[in-house]
Amino acid sequence: MKAWLGSTALAAALICGGLSGLGAPAKAQTLQVAVDASPAGLDPHIITAFTSFQVVNGTIYEGLTGVDKDLRIVPVLARSWTISPDGKTYTFSLVPNARFHDGTPLEAADVVATFNRVLSRDIASPLASRLAAMERATAQDATTVVVTMKEASAPFLSSLSTIAIVPRRFEADKDALQRAPVGTGPFRFREWQPNSFIELSKAEGYWGQGRPTLDGVRFNIVPESATRQVGVSSGQYAMLANIDAATALQLQGRPGVRIAETLELAYTLVGMNVSKPPFDNPRVREALNLALNRAEIVQAALFGAGVPGGPLSPALSEWALPVSQFPCYTHSATRSQELLRAAGHTAPVPVTLLVLPRQDIRDIAQVVQAQLNRAGFRAELRIPELGQFIQDWRNSNFDAFVSTNAGFPDPDDYFFRTFRTGGSTNVFKYSNPAADALMDAARVEQNPATRREQYNQLQRMVACEGPVAFMTYGQLFTAVRDTVQGFDIIANRSLSTLSTTSIRR
Amino acid sequence: MSYIRERALDLVIVLFGVSIITFMMIRLIPGDAVAIMLGANTEVTPERVAEIRARLGLDQPLLSQYLTWVSGVLTGNLGESIWTRRPVTQEIAAHVWPTLQLGILALAMGAGLALPLGVTMARLRGQGFDIGLRIGSVVGLTIPSFWLGIMMILLLTSFAPGLQVLGYVPFFEDPLGNLARLALPAFALALPILAHLSRLLRSAMLDALQQDYVRTARAKGVPESQVLFVHALRNALIPFVTSVGIMTGYLLGGAIVVEQVFAIPGLGRLILGAISERNYPLVQATILVVTVSFVLINFAVDMLYAVIDPRIREARRG
Repeated sequence: MKAWLGSTALAAALICGGLSGLGAPAKAQTLQVAVDASPAGLDPHIITAFTSFQVVNGTIYEGLTGVDKDLRIVPVLARSWTISPDGKTYTFSLVPNARFHDGTPLEAADVVATFNRVLSRDIASPLASRLAAMERATAQDATTVVVTMKEASAPFLSSLSTIAIVPRRFEADKDALQRAPVGTGPFRFREWQPNSFIELSKAEGYWGQGRPTLDGVRFNIVPESATRQVGVSSGQYAMLANIDAATALQLQGRPGVRIAETLELAYTLVGMNVSKPPFDNPRVREALNLALNRAEIVQAALFGAGVPGGPLSPALSEWALPVSQFPCYTHSATRSQELLRAAGHTAPVPVTLLVLPRQDIRDIAQVVQAQLNRAGFRAELRIPELGQFIQDWRNSNFDAFVSTNAGFPDPDDYFFRTFRTGGSTNVFKYSNPAADALMDAARVEQNPATRREQYNQLQRMVACEGPVAFMTYGQLFTAVRDTVQGFDIIANRSLSTLSTTSIRR
Repeated sequence: MSYIRERALDLVIVLFGVSIITFMMIRLIPGDAVAIMLGANTEVTPERVAEIRARLGLDQPLLSQYLTWVSGVLTGNLGESIWTRRPVTQEIAAHVWPTLQLGILALAMGAGLALPLGVTMARLRGQGFDIGLRIGSVVGLTIPSFWLGIMMILLLTSFAPGLQVLGYVPFFEDPLGNLARLALPAFALALPILAHLSRLLRSAMLDALQQDYVRTARAKGVPESQVLFVHALRNALIPFVTSVGIMTGYLLGGAIVVEQVFAIPGLGRLILGAISERNYPLVQATILVVTVSFVLINFAVDMLYAVIDPRIREARRG
């Protein structure tokens, strides 16, 4: 009987221990955020995946420019700038009182060193292409940076928002910032327990007046979606950042939880391989566009949380044409079948769709499959493991694929890499001299009105005959406790508005 | 002594095999570290990809990558995480305590409760208590621990909102907070162990209670509790202890799931994260460490037999 008593006592002690630990008070004014994955590192020039981006962008690190909640490019560390008439010289004037978290003041030499770091072969930063148009940067004096360009670049200011400025002593250091980031932002890095949490604390003496209001931010790494939901419902977490529609809809209406939402920049697409039949024929590509019922996809696969969209996110209201401008976006299975017959296909056209192995994309792919099969195609789905998908995608080893693409505040980032002959993500092997000419011209165009007209033409040109059937732009959600104030969700998934966030007591 | 030497040789062979298998497996999973590192956020040229591969040492032939790694391991250097450049021994050390503590708590709960329950079930064979517990143990065996975990979190937070049950704090920082956070996951992990071990002990006890020496002991007038816990239990313990040894292997597997649900930064999370970011040195080292501990635990279990059963001790001497 002794064994029985002993183990019962042990169990009782464990349970009582569990219950008596209830009341540990939450640290005042530290925002508890739950995120799903641990970043692989925090060096803003080496790791650019969203898991790292959302922790450091606008919180620890700042660029010369930034993106506000309406996706406009705004001054951040560059207080102002002038651009020469030929668009080839930029002169940036830095904010005078910014300091890095190690205490050193921000100077023009740090900006120059940062650019050199991003371009260095040794660092091998994936961001290097963002500075491809730059010839060189020089420090004119401590607070003035002059950038000379190889050619004018309309998206340059937007690209600069992605380049975090780091202290110059890290120019050749590949390792230190991965573990312990040092920036100029409103929060400084405090502690990182891998797979557990990353904690930031208020940066004393931050150059932005009156910011931040929080004492700190703690990113709790909670991989299980159900656990995150329970955590925010019970108040253990004050924010679930950048969550999907399914999670957001389940949290909608829970007491004490508020959902912030915005339209995504990223889109879902059917990408077609134009280097082989059947999609080498523009009529078949148009037929696929007609076969898609985008409104049905939004309802069936996105739970209604999204909109049908064309080549640019409707969130870029200055640039995006409404879908009513694209005739092939009006769903018609009969018109699709007619086009396939005109292209010389008598039987249903067999196509294999390579599908990104992610739940929301699988759901969409199934709806797409059903729609295609009703409109003269015979679609099969192939859903490989992620690594295999990336490999097939990169080697253009597909008839067509269903996937999602990231979006950006500037249209050049949507188009050039995707549709330009030889573009870095032009896995469709699309090549259209007229479209190339428009993209090249718009890239260097200084006059916004002319540039807009060029992109309007381009959108009409690629919408129906291009290698991509754009489908939907989803809603992006962030769930917060209703005590959280001053937070704005941004479509590029940056949490930079944490600098104005506070918790009502 | 020769027995120990034999086992040690086995250990070396097992570890050599494991090193090759883990080394190859993580590299055979389609998709490489570079693609995962780049995400969907950037524009990538083939030259950049080549530069990054070189930076991570992935451009070397497989054999030379393997030899570099093995010679490192033999000198006690398990390599560095390819992302953070932290020595993987540090990463493992930081993650080992939560899992160890979770495992010990779960094993203590599971095995500790299985002893009295198994004995009582055998004692009250065929009665309501026995039947109820046997049904309960089938339920305990079949409920997946992630589901149990989520349900427990849901229930607890709806009855006691504001209770901090997610995540982990080190024991020496906040003992009560530590136990509060580990009680539920340990229970989720312990339930299948408890169910399995109590059933096992019940049948081993039933078997032992049929034996002649038990009848003799009862006939001599030995008190019933002594018959149960001394004469019968001691003999029923052999399969029980073997099972406990095997359970430690289950614990590591179960810990991956439970750590995921309860957001506990243990070895399971480390392995899972390392695999998904294709952090080759970290995966290799962690699996090596886990395998070594598993083999060592089973070695210790083998030694325990001798303590429990004098016949084994004698047989070895002879």
